[in-house]
Amino acid sequence: MIRAEGLIAQRGDFFLGPIDLDLGQDSYLTLLGPSGSGKTLFLEACMGLIPSSSGSVWLNGQDVTSSRPEHRHISYLPQDLALFPHLTVLENILFGAKRRGLDKNVTEDHLSNLQTLLNLHKIIDRNDVTSLSGGEKQRVALARALLPQPQVLFLDEPFSALDATIKRQLQVKLREISQQLNVTILHVTHDQEEAFMLGKKIAVMIQGKICQIGSRDDIYYRPETLEVARFLRNQNIFEMTAERILPDGSVEIGNEIRVAVPAHMNVEIGRRYATGIRSEEVVIIRPGKPLGLELQENLFQATVADILAFGGTHTLCVKLQESEVTIDVELPNCAMRDLGYAIGDDLQICLRKRSLWTIPLD
Amino acid sequence: MFHRDKIFKLSMLFPLCLLTAYFLLLLTSQTSFFSWSHFTNQLSQNDLQSAIALSLFAATVSSIIAMVIAIPSAYALARIHFPGKRFVDTFIDLPMVLTPIALGTLILMSWNTSVGRTLSGFGINLPFTVAGIILAQFTVIVAISIRMLKATFEQINPRQEQVARLLGCSAFGSFRYVTLPLAKRGILAAIILTWARAIGEFGATVMVAGTAKGQTATLPSSIYLAMSMADLPKAVTLVTILIAISLLVLFGVRKALELRI
Repeated sequence: MIRAEGLIAQRGDFFLGPIDLDLGQDSYLTLLGPSGSGKTLFLEACMGLIPSSSGSVWLNGQDVTSSRPEHRHISYLPQDLALFPHLTVLENILFGAKRRGLDKNVTEDHLSNLQTLLNLHKIIDRNDVTSLSGGEKQRVALARALLPQPQVLFLDEPFSALDATIKRQLQVKLREISQQLNVTILHVTHDQEEAFMLGKKIAVMIQGKICQIGSRDDIYYRPETLEVARFLRNQNIFEMTAERILPDGSVEIGNEIRVAVPAHMNVEIGRRYATGIRSEEVVIIRPGKPLGLELQENLFQATVADILAFGGTHTLCVKLQESEVTIDVELPNCAMRDLGYAIGDDLQICLRKRSLWTIPLD
Repeated sequence: MFHRDKIFKLSMLFPLCLLTAYFLLLLTSQTSFFSWSHFTNQLSQNDLQSAIALSLFAATVSSIIAMVIAIPSAYALARIHFPGKRFVDTFIDLPMVLTPIALGTLILMSWNTSVGRTLSGFGINLPFTVAGIILAQFTVIVAISIRMLKATFEQINPRQEQVARLLGCSAFGSFRYVTLPLAKRGILAAIILTWARAIGEFGATVMVAGTAKGQTATLPSSIYLAMSMADLPKAVTLVTILIAISLLVLFGVRKALELRI
């Protein structure tokens, strides 16, 4: 549907690319990255709002690199929504359909669908768009973008200014829309939860380059670069060297501590790696309970050094005994209440082998 | 309220009260010279009627021309990046800082250059004509219009224009359907203020067009002529008319900015 090939763009001193990205029909890709990583610049280059230094953009098999924005049939929902305050709600929604001269009957049918889908009935007759609430503005802007039936919809941090409840409602609505309407969506966000919740595929962009593209599990559990691992809040990252192949084919890597990592990661003996595990993947072994096979290796005795309380979770900072290594262990509040740990308590943890990832450092 | 807060507020309000009182003094200073019979009598004189009509006509035409030039120029300065933009942006402010007499002198001198001589060859003679008045007023007000409109365009979110492009508008279409309607109030305020500046313009106008009674004498130059001949009733009549126009304009601008037009 839409494809970027070796796309390079520049704004001031910032360089984007080269970017290669391919979105098929009906796909929903979230482009995840920290602020200032070039996500919006990439969208602007794809939409033709800024010239690209080199590379090309293809839409439906046609090279649109030199086409004007209005000829690309991409709809755009920017972060600030950019509603037109001089127009009524209905005029805002109809703006694209009017300018593109779409058939009135088709537009009316589609508008009726969107009214139901986005629950616009109560606000569509309002005159002043500036008096709408944040969530209402969002729905109007989304309807305006969808009414001309674009082939591709670009969303640029559309929910960043909303409170958590409205944000969640609209995210659910957006997922429903993407499933019901025949539109390819490229959704830019720095919000990891949003990216993982909505994207069928996720691309991580850092410093103007796409570092990794893959499924939710690929990105979340198997980061391919240290930048991606850090950006995705992997707290437990260690530098280690691959030491030997174990009898079951897995590889032991070590530095201050030794862990076995899965063999499929093509680990080379003698090479340096960063290895890590997400804090919520660290297992606390309860004394006296029988251990499954996968919990019988990578076991460590530890002491609770600190406890950080968050909204729905607690993070135990545990110091491994006989080393200086500290590991974060995330527990939901209910588990924390059951276990009742306090600073100074001893416990046993397991860095489950299948939850460990490794990235070559050299 | 705390005592020190009160002192602070009063110290801020005091200069404002003084200034308002001073302006009221200026406005009321002519009342001792004003008489209704003189006023109506003066208004019936042809040269005064001609000055009023000429002032209204020249200010309207020069404001229209200034807007036609200022709207695209201001948009270009607000939105388009081009080499030498900083220089141009500063350079076009020149008429705002240059005294109008000097500006008028420059306009006259420009008629002695090859461009001026060529235009004269085609029968276009601006010095000491109504067209000269319009050119002088245009030269004085165009920079003010550009400055006001540039600020207006800069306040409009460029994303709105970009979204309009992606919804099917050409570059001109997004300007026509989004930027211009959003700039409407700023444009209206600029029209009113530049028109008011044009109708009160004296220095450049006198230099370029002179003060021929019934021909090129405008309201301000007629006031100058009346005062130089010690014709106080006439001067008071003209000043009263200018004050009325100025107050109408000021309150018109305030209303235009308050209302959602």
